[in-house]
This record gives sequence, structure tokens and C-alpha cells, in this order.
Amino acid sequence: MLFAESLYSAINAIKANATRSFLTSLAIIIGTASVIAMIAIGEGAQNALNNEIDNLGGRVLSVYASQRKRGGVTYGSNPLIIKDAEALRNDKKIDWKITPSIEGSRQIKFGNNNMSAGISGHWTNYFDIQGYKISSGRNFTENENLARKRVAVIGPKVATELKTSPRAMLNKELLISGVPFKVIGILESEGSSGWRSPDDNVYVPLLTASDRIYGRKTVNSISVSISNDQNIEEAMVAIEQVLRRQHDIGPGVDNDFRINDWSQYSDLRKEATAIFTILITGIAGISLLVGGIGVMNIMLVSVTERTREIGLRKALGATHKAIMMQFIVEAMLLCLLGGIVGVILGAGMFYIFASFQEWTFYIPLGAIIGSITFSAAVGLFFGIWPARRAAKLDPALSLRYE
Amino acid sequence: MSIIKTVELKRSFEMGTQSVEALKGIDLNVQAGEFIAIMGPSGSGKTTLMNIIGCLDTPTSGQYLLNNQEVSTFLDDDLAMIRNKEIGFVFQSFHLLARSSALDNVMLPLKYAGEKKNIAIDRAKKALLDVGLGDRMDHSPSELSGGQQQRVAIARALVNSPSILFADEPTGNLDSQTGADVMNLFKQLHQNGQTIIIITHEEEIANQAQRVITIRDGLIETDKLV
Repeated sequence: MLFAESLYSAINAIKANATRSFLTSLAIIIGTASVIAMIAIGEGAQNALNNEIDNLGGRVLSVYASQRKRGGVTYGSNPLIIKDAEALRNDKKIDWKITPSIEGSRQIKFGNNNMSAGISGHWTNYFDIQGYKISSGRNFTENENLARKRVAVIGPKVATELKTSPRAMLNKELLISGVPFKVIGILESEGSSGWRSPDDNVYVPLLTASDRIYGRKTVNSISVSISNDQNIEEAMVAIEQVLRRQHDIGPGVDNDFRINDWSQYSDLRKEATAIFTILITGIAGISLLVGGIGVMNIMLVSVTERTREIGLRKALGATHKAIMMQFIVEAMLLCLLGGIVGVILGAGMFYIFASFQEWTFYIPLGAIIGSITFSAAVGLFFGIWPARRAAKLDPALSLRYE
Repeated sequence: MSIIKTVELKRSFEMGTQSVEALKGIDLNVQAGEFIAIMGPSGSGKTTLMNIIGCLDTPTSGQYLLNNQEVSTFLDDDLAMIRNKEIGFVFQSFHLLARSSALDNVMLPLKYAGEKKNIAIDRAKKALLDVGLGDRMDHSPSELSGGQQQRVAIARALVNSPSILFADEPTGNLDSQTGADVMNLFKQLHQNGQTIIIITHEEEIANQAQRVITIRDGLIETDKLV
């Protein structure tokens, strides 16, 4: 009954000073809104990042040659060769797909236009592993690879840069370092993904690249695509075993290759997102703190304004506790309402942001409950002092306060 | 039966470095069912006396027995309970909560008494009926006339069946006709056995009581039956 009276009185007091109450809780509203928006954006960014990593080699490990060291002395680097990739392919312990890449750039010419383009040689499963799709034409075949056929699949931007259209290039001859290649397929546009863009590259069979373009058996990297039910750590160990055997590396000697796990990049970006979230949450926390001080200030004003009312309540039998409760409930309600409005505002802000980013609209329930609870706690904390002042008022003097 | 008994009641206030004695030794005895008017010019100490016997303040020295209970040594929260159960206040300026209905205003002491809601509503309704406001229960103070507001205040003062009804200049803010109505209500309550103490500076009002006590310079000057 006492709590009900406190709540009733608090609602009345807030309604009676609606504008003032709104302005007072504005800092709470802004603080809560930013917490909600930032947590939601952080979460959304994380999901988007995870999707991106999954799409783009999240489960693909890349193996590179590296320098070999022993006791501080650097031995010459031992390059990766096609045979290494074949050894990995022949190892069936782990369910994986392997493709080596020979990369470089060469002058290419189509009609009267020429340019320098990235030319890479792969096995036929390369597009499948990377998740690239061929929009027209076809992929090269294993027979074409073995026969070192002069066939090429091109990214769509190659055509643009050669001032023609992909369609015009299909089944036509493209000169790579003056040697004619037949364009047999065009990739769908993948868009650039950070450091590499598959759209302006030319793809040829591995052995064609090895024998006809670059004249070397060494490969720049070997991609290992692991199925989803495989453990990445285990796969890395298996790669190490195969390659150490291939390169004849004895016990206690360092690897002469390194394995890149793309999920490392995701960890890095996760960390950056986390730091960003902490920063913004800190700012929001300060905003809530300032809001709390504002609430305290207004509550002190309210106590002074309502001295006569407090005197009356005391004359009618309100105890110290009853008056305390009345003003604490009022301060908490003010902050709680601010928190709820803030959550709605923050959710709205995120909704707009999410629709621009084409993210799914999702706000963790914990964030909503947490920020509303926190704003109520701010009210409790900053309401105590004004409430104590009210409770300590002398009834006889308060009744006659002008 | 003695309801109020004070012995050598003194109250002094610290005004800077000076100590001002507002009450210099009041010996007062009030029997159940009495209708008393306390008179005195401003500064005489009548407000201080009312604060103390109304349990809003405590004496500096002396004894105060309310219903044979020594309350002068009570702490704040105990005094709050005494005010809630034993004393009903009526003020010159009504002191109603502006945004609450008449019924909610009358229910307030019952809420502080921890009464159950349905019982509180029943008793508050009955109190409002008793002062003739049965048809105004849902009105807020701004929708009531001055006389009606004071009736709400009287209903609120009586709702917890207090031993004493205190009225501090109850007609001070009312025109003479409404003031007379309120005084008639007090007389009626007195006839029903309610102990009433009115603080006033108007002789006309005081003379409607049974017993008139005048205070001057912190002491009882006269104490006579009308």
C-alpha cells in the first residue's frame, strides 16, 4: 500500500511537471539510446564480419613459403612447388580441397587495347573453393590443364578495362605476353574484398601458367579449403606433417612454410569492434552519470518545492521510510522512463542503420534489460540524497514553509 | 479520563547565539470529549504549544502525557505513528494534495497506517459521507469550494478515529458563512464525543468552544469555561 502510494505520487509529480521531467531524463534517454544502438551495431558488425569470413575463406587456409631459420642463421627459402600441393591432395586423412596458385602479372592485349593484369594459374577446383561463380562460358577442365591448353577465365572488370564488354570477349582471343589464349569463361562480379579483387584477374590452368607463362614449377601459395565439420587446428597439423615430409625437414628444425588462418583477421577485427564498443559504452556511461546528477538536482528542487506537502504527509503519519520511498521511487521512475524511451530511441536508430547496411534487425535482450535496469539503478543512487533530505525535514517547520 | 496532561512544558529555540523561550512552563490538562479553544496573539507561543501537543515537535523540558503515555521522549518515527493514530489535523490552508481526488486525500492517513486498500476505501468513503461530501468523492481540490475543501480535510483528520482533533485557524481562509458551517460541523463532532482543540485568534470562534485557554508570553494566562 505504501509502495503503491509512492508510485501514485511519483506518477502525479512527473505528470505535473511533464516538460521538466522530460528535459531531466534527456541525458538518461541519450545515454541509454547510445548504449542500445552501439551494442546492436557492434553485434551486427560482428555478424556481418562472420558472414564475410565464412564466405571468403573463413574455412580456407593458405600456405606460403617462408624463410628457414636455425640458430639465428637464415637459410635460403625453400619454395612451395606443385608436387607439394599434389602431396596434400593425396593425403586423405582430412576432408579438404587443395588448389595451388601461381601468380604474377603480364601484359594482356585484346584488339587494340592492352593493360597489365594479374594472371594466376590454378587447378580446376579453384572457383569452387573460393565460391566464385562463372556467369557465362565455362571453367577449364583437368584435360585442358594436363594438355597445357591456352584457355582463360576472366574477371568482368578485365573487359571493362580493355574497353570492351565481357560478352564481346567470350570465345575470342586474348593475348597474354603476346601469346593468344582463348577466353572460355567470364566470372560473376564478386566485388573487391579488401586486399584482392577477383574481378580484374585472369585465370588459367595451373600447368599452362607454369609452363607457358611463368616457366616455373614453384607456386606462390597453396589454398586448403576445409569442410565445415573439420577442425581447423587439426587440419593445420596435418598440413604441417605432409609438408615437413615433402621438404624433408628433420625434427627440431623450423618449418620453411607458414600457414595463414583467415580467422586470425577476424579475431583482429573482433578486437577492434570490442574496443570501439567499450569506448562508446564508456561515453554512454558518462552520459548516464551526468543524467543521474541532473535527476538528483531536479529532485532536490522538487523536495524544496514540496516542503509543505512533505510536512503534511509527516503530520498525517508518514515515517522517515515512507518519505524516503516516495522520493526514491520518483527518481527511479524518472530514470526508468528515460531508460525505456532511450531503448526505443536506440532501437529506432539501429533499425534505420540496419536497413541501410542490409543487416538483420537484432538487439540482444540482455542489452535491453541491462540498460533499463542500469538506468533505474542510476535513479536509485542519485535519488537517495534528495530523499534523505526530504525525510529529515522537520514536520512543524515544513507545514508552515512558504 | 485525561487525554492530555502536560507538566512544566518548556520549549526554547536557538536563534543564533540567543536562546528564545517560546514556552515557559505550561501545565495543561485535557479530558476526553472536551472542546477547547486556544487563543493568543501571534508570538504568544500558541503555535509552539500546538506543535508539541500535536506531536509535531518535542519539548525542551517537562512532561507530556498523551493517553497516559509519555511521548516527549519519543523518536521521530514513533511520533509519526502517534500522529497517525491519535491526532487529526485541520489546517487553515486545508493542505490537500492538489492532484489527488477527495477520496485519495482522505485515504492518505490510512495508507501510512498500513491499512488494506479495500478497508481504507470503505472508511474514507464513510468519513466523506459523515462530513456531507458523499457526492464529491472523485473531485480534485480545485473542483471544490473552500468550505468543501476544509470538509475534506476534516474527513481526512477523522478517518483514523483519532483521540484529538486539532484545528489550526480552521476558518481563517473561509468566508463567514462557510466558517460558521465548519464550526457547526465541529460542534456536531463534539456532541458525538470527539475531543477537539481549536487554535484561533478570533474571539467569536473561541467562544463557540466549551473551554477557552489564552496564552501570553509562553504561559497560560487564563483558562476558563464558556
